[in-house]
Amino acid sequence: MPDRPPASPRFRVTPDPEHALPPTRASFIELGVASCFSFLRGASDAADLATTARALGYDAIGIADANSMAGVVRMHIAAKELKLRPVIGCRIETVEGLVFLAYPRDRAAYGQLCQLVSAGRMTTPDGAWQDKGMCQITLSMLAGHAEGVQLILLPPDDLARRFTIGEQTGKVVRLDGAALDAEVCGRLETILPQLTAQLPGLRHVAASYLYRGDDVTRIERLDALARANGLSILATNDVHYHAPERRPLQDVMTAIRHKLPVVRAGHLLHANAERHLKDPAEMERLFARWPHAIKAAREVADACRFSLDELRYEYPQERYPGGMTSQQWLEKLTWDGAKTRYPNGLPESVEETLERELALIGKLELARYFLTIKDIVDFARAQNPPILCQGRGSAANSAVCYCLEITSVDPARHQLLFDRFISEERKEPPDIDVDFEHERREEVIQYIYRKYGRHRAGLCATVIHYRPRMAIREVGKAMGLSEDVTSALARTVWGSWGKEIGERHVAETGMNLNDPHLRRVLRLTEQMIGMPRHLSQHVGGFILTEGALTQTVPIGNGAMPDRSFIEWDKDDIDALGILKIDILALGMLTCIRKALDLIENHHERHLALATVPREDRAVYAMLCKGDSLGVFQVESRAQMNMLPRLRPREFYDLVIQVAIVRPGPIQGDMVHPYLKRRRGAEPVSIPAPAPEHGPPDELSSILARTLGVPIFQEQAMKIALDAARFSSAEANRLRKAMATFRSRGKVDELEEMMVERMVARGYDRDFAQRCFNQIRGFGEYGFPESHAASFAHLVYVSSWLKCHFPAAFACALLNSQPMGFYAPAQIVRDAREHGVEVRPADVNHSLWDCTLEPVSGGVVALRLGLRQVDGLPEHVAARLVAARESGSFDSVGALQDRAGLSPAHLERLASADCFTSLA
Amino acid sequence: MTLWLANLAIDRWRGRLAPNERHGADATPLALIGETAHGPRIEAVNAAGLGAGAEAGMMLADARALCPQIATAPADPAGDLAFLETFALWAQRWGPWSALDPPDGVLVDVTGVAHLFGGEATLLAEARRLLAGRGLAVRAAIAPTAGAAWALAHFGTCSGREQAILPADEDAAMRLADLPVAALRLDGDVLLVLRRLGLRRIGDLTRIGRDALQRRFRSRHSPAANPLVRLDQLLGRVPEPLLPVMAVEAPLVLRRLLEPLRHRGLLDRVVTELASDMARELEGRGQGARRLELGLWRVDGDVLLRRLELAAATRDPAHMTRLLAEKLGDVEAGFGIELVRLRASWTQPLPLTQSGFEATGEDHGTSLAACMDRLIVRLGEQAVRRPLPHASHLPERAQRWHPPFEAACAVQDELAFHARPLKLLDRAEPITVLYATPDGLPRRFRWRGQLHEVVRAEGPERIAPEWWRERSTARLRDYYRVEDEAGRRYWLYRLGLAGDGRGGMPQWFLHGLCA
Repeated sequence: MPDRPPASPRFRVTPDPEHALPPTRASFIELGVASCFSFLRGASDAADLATTARALGYDAIGIADANSMAGVVRMHIAAKELKLRPVIGCRIETVEGLVFLAYPRDRAAYGQLCQLVSAGRMTTPDGAWQDKGMCQITLSMLAGHAEGVQLILLPPDDLARRFTIGEQTGKVVRLDGAALDAEVCGRLETILPQLTAQLPGLRHVAASYLYRGDDVTRIERLDALARANGLSILATNDVHYHAPERRPLQDVMTAIRHKLPVVRAGHLLHANAERHLKDPAEMERLFARWPHAIKAAREVADACRFSLDELRYEYPQERYPGGMTSQQWLEKLTWDGAKTRYPNGLPESVEETLERELALIGKLELARYFLTIKDIVDFARAQNPPILCQGRGSAANSAVCYCLEITSVDPARHQLLFDRFISEERKEPPDIDVDFEHERREEVIQYIYRKYGRHRAGLCATVIHYRPRMAIREVGKAMGLSEDVTSALARTVWGSWGKEIGERHVAETGMNLNDPHLRRVLRLTEQMIGMPRHLSQHVGGFILTEGALTQTVPIGNGAMPDRSFIEWDKDDIDALGILKIDILALGMLTCIRKALDLIENHHERHLALATVPREDRAVYAMLCKGDSLGVFQVESRAQMNMLPRLRPREFYDLVIQVAIVRPGPIQGDMVHPYLKRRRGAEPVSIPAPAPEHGPPDELSSILARTLGVPIFQEQAMKIALDAARFSSAEANRLRKAMATFRSRGKVDELEEMMVERMVARGYDRDFAQRCFNQIRGFGEYGFPESHAASFAHLVYVSSWLKCHFPAAFACALLNSQPMGFYAPAQIVRDAREHGVEVRPADVNHSLWDCTLEPVSGGVVALRLGLRQVDGLPEHVAARLVAARESGSFDSVGALQDRAGLSPAHLERLASADCFTSLA
Repeated sequence: MTLWLANLAIDRWRGRLAPNERHGADATPLALIGETAHGPRIEAVNAAGLGAGAEAGMMLADARALCPQIATAPADPAGDLAFLETFALWAQRWGPWSALDPPDGVLVDVTGVAHLFGGEATLLAEARRLLAGRGLAVRAAIAPTAGAAWALAHFGTCSGREQAILPADEDAAMRLADLPVAALRLDGDVLLVLRRLGLRRIGDLTRIGRDALQRRFRSRHSPAANPLVRLDQLLGRVPEPLLPVMAVEAPLVLRRLLEPLRHRGLLDRVVTELASDMARELEGRGQGARRLELGLWRVDGDVLLRRLELAAATRDPAHMTRLLAEKLGDVEAGFGIELVRLRASWTQPLPLTQSGFEATGEDHGTSLAACMDRLIVRLGEQAVRRPLPHASHLPERAQRWHPPFEAACAVQDELAFHARPLKLLDRAEPITVLYATPDGLPRRFRWRGQLHEVVRAEGPERIAPEWWRERSTARLRDYYRVEDEAGRRYWLYRLGLAGDGRGGMPQWFLHGLCA
């Protein structure tokens, strides 16, 4: 199964040691800042903006993206790291063409603003379902949600432009009592009194000195207009990028947005590069005639006392039987579950672990979170037929989760590190991922929406950002490169998850690097990689709140009907400490369930995921041969290659098998040593420090079970903690540094720290370097042991099914497509090689799904279903099957008459050779 | 008779080279390239290129990967089609009429013609010989129906000449049974279905029976999608209409003179008469001339040609005469002109119009087209231009010169600027200015030797360079509108900022004069 893509890159801030103290108060604050989350309009990300702001001497920075709050968390984090105060706002662009900067004063006003954006993104002004990515906010909506929000009007470039707005004339009514809907049409002078009347929060008009040629005249005019209406002008520089060097990127983004090449974009581009962040002294100089504009900006920023830290997270409340608190109920369920899981008595180690975990959960007040997950899992299992589900990820480290039957990793048999799951110092919320059958995940999602309501439950977003292939294509097209050149460059990037497009790539295509135009394009592409394109729905991360979700974050619509998601992605959620549940889909669970059903129907054997016979030698023999097509996780070519070398003989070997063919161990060059030691070609030696620094068995507790070779992610981390004596804060930094790819500087300094410390304590330098390379390779791809163990369980079950019931397994695999690594043709070929008779799809015998047909004795044959016929829709197949009830077909004409098939569909069936039984 | 020019594009390209270069060109792999939305694609390859692995239809980038030294030249499909048309006319030496078979074939009707050439085999031999002499590779075949001839030419094996002729009395079905089904001129997807059904030869189709084919291929409209219709056309059961190619003569009038002309006045008279003859000729056809060619044959054998292009189709003899008269200024009559010929090489339909009932109602103006014609003829092609606005922030690039009758696309743009001068100098003139650095307003400047005191100034309007066109060291401009003590207004700019790292102290220029 292919990996999930890495999260969007976080542009990290590197704090300058000079700026260790908070900055002094500046005279001006820039409020009109558009970051890259004003998609394809802003050309700088929050980290760059914040760093520039700090360098220029600001003490606070605003953020106002167009109709969106997607970028506020990043600005919040970046500013906090640099000790700036982030001022959170939004740029509201109404359907009438008016543009406002909206800065809420407090939490309640922020909630109003989020609700406004949600309303604009969820429904059109007529009340219909809004398209994805669109936001339509009318002036009346803005007026209704503007309590406590400071509004600043951004005047249009052409002051003679006319607007039409609705007029509020409460005094005048029609004869039948209905209110009169009048409209005012006119230039800014005409409508400004109306706006001031309708929007009490509107107290300023923005003025920018953008070197337009008539700036002084224009600002004077705006000043007079503002004063005439009781408002004041406010200075802003309409910032779209942090430094003037970013202007080419912003021009390219404009060209991409309008789908034109840059040479033809003409007046759509800005004439100059003045829309960058300027220092307060410069702004004061530009606005020397209007010092009140500078002061106004400062006042507005000071009046905003809201900070995202105030989003204290309220988890949904429930009532538990007997009036127990959530912690008490959790403890009761845990001990009950422990009895079921260990019918022969609870081992002492497990009991200790449970007590420790429950104490920590109680301390961090996370009991309700666990209970919510248990409720969802119980719902899934209570369905008829039950939905298979299993927990994975770091949650598998928890014994409590095992007793609650959320995960299936037995703490008695595996070493679990609860710290990986929840740790006190980490101050991060835990993250439980639960896999469900992919075809029935929707039922679980709808259950959650039903139980909590759409206003309290929402899916996370994923930020779809520019990857190298897409970036080079779009930038190349905008810069006038022909499509074959951009395709050639794009093809040199390995896979769609490649991270850069450098000189090496260009040299591969044979293009001339000395061409200045090409160099320019490449430089722009580098800047473009990582910029967000649009938001999309996350695979399954849900957040649940007690109050209305729209008061915390805006919600937008997805592309599919009835899908909506919030504007923040899961890293933002983590940063703010909001709890998230991942409802994921796993194709193999569907396959297993279908196989189990088939076995029950055809072989009279009732099995469940937990009752499959364990440690069957025939299964391991099959895996040793590398015969694993269709088996979960070990079916890829690399794995098939590894199986005969590793020769798994027991369950723990499967755990290692799953974790070893990954970038971490491969990059750390640990795979061959492990295989050699397993074969016995090398003695098992666990590296030890010099005697004066520590005991010789320092690492044996970590490395003994993998023959002295670190394979799992937490083994490498534990080495850092124990062998290199990292403090937990440093270990945290290491973990974070690994997770991002941009912080190369950080990684290098940590590398030196770790390797030197280990060497100082007497370890072999080569071993230390390899350990670090492995940690580097783990990045986002490392497998913790618990996660590998949950997956290994599924590996075993699927290979058991393949070994003993190959027909049922192949049938279930075909019916669960699309999933897995192989195409149906290869699955069929593999089934044939295992002695399964595969019968072609036939109009007289096949159903939509593949089925098993009894042959004799206990032997069954696999009949391919009509779903395998290319281009035959399901409803047509259903008609055919229904018509067959009254008797088989004896000619093609009968198909046409009785089933009402059109000639085109008959042709498709004929091409697929389905009429053999008619001959 | 089908004549299939298998290598038309390459042969034409080769024909344009000098004879001594042709051998070398054959040895190097060459591909003719056409532009598509996805990049350059190969339209035709020569034999050496085929040997190297390039194929028609491949993208150039892929072909270069196989054969990095492949040479390219642009393909000319329009020229190929024009050539094919003239070739079809030329092929009428063998038959009463011919039809095009695009992209590279011609069908000639040779019914009852063979005896004039000594038999069908000799006819084919002569055709091959003549075409080889012209440097064109050809595969020819003769058959009773167009379909059969096409099939034989494209897919019949060329080992013996007997294969290329299908006598009328022979059973075509038997003779062509071994040809592949692609010989039936079918679409790609129909061929795919036939291949899937296992029908690979024409013989298979005849064996399988008409009913089955009719049930399966139901398209009635397009013969290329219906193998049954094509099969019938091949065997002559169903007629196949063809579109014959007919030559169209350009209107031509001439005057042979008994006594050679040596004086301009007489020449003008002759030209006037020719013009009215031409007008009558064009009226008869309902056309107007766009391009005229005047040919003057001198007694000593020299020919003088004068060409004229008109902006709109016209039949007006006075207009034509007037324009032609301008072109005759430099004619050297020598010993005399004995033949004057006027030919309209490009005509367009121009319907007859009725002139106004009252002769006095006629207006005496000239149409814009006629005026443009006169200006172009007098001043030259490149001298008559029209400015059209072009979207650019740089003032000198904000308009472009276009030919007079090019359609202007409607542009609805907000004015991106506040003010522009009435007169913009083609080249900005450097001036010296007194101003407060780094970006203060100008106080005093000297232009063309004169000193001006600035009384009022507005600005700056900053226009950054067009980075995609210019070097990265290009400097920005700050424009100022200034008024001097005499009330004159100027548009100045300063190139760059002091201290921007792209040069020394910035220079000032005067770019325009307002009011």
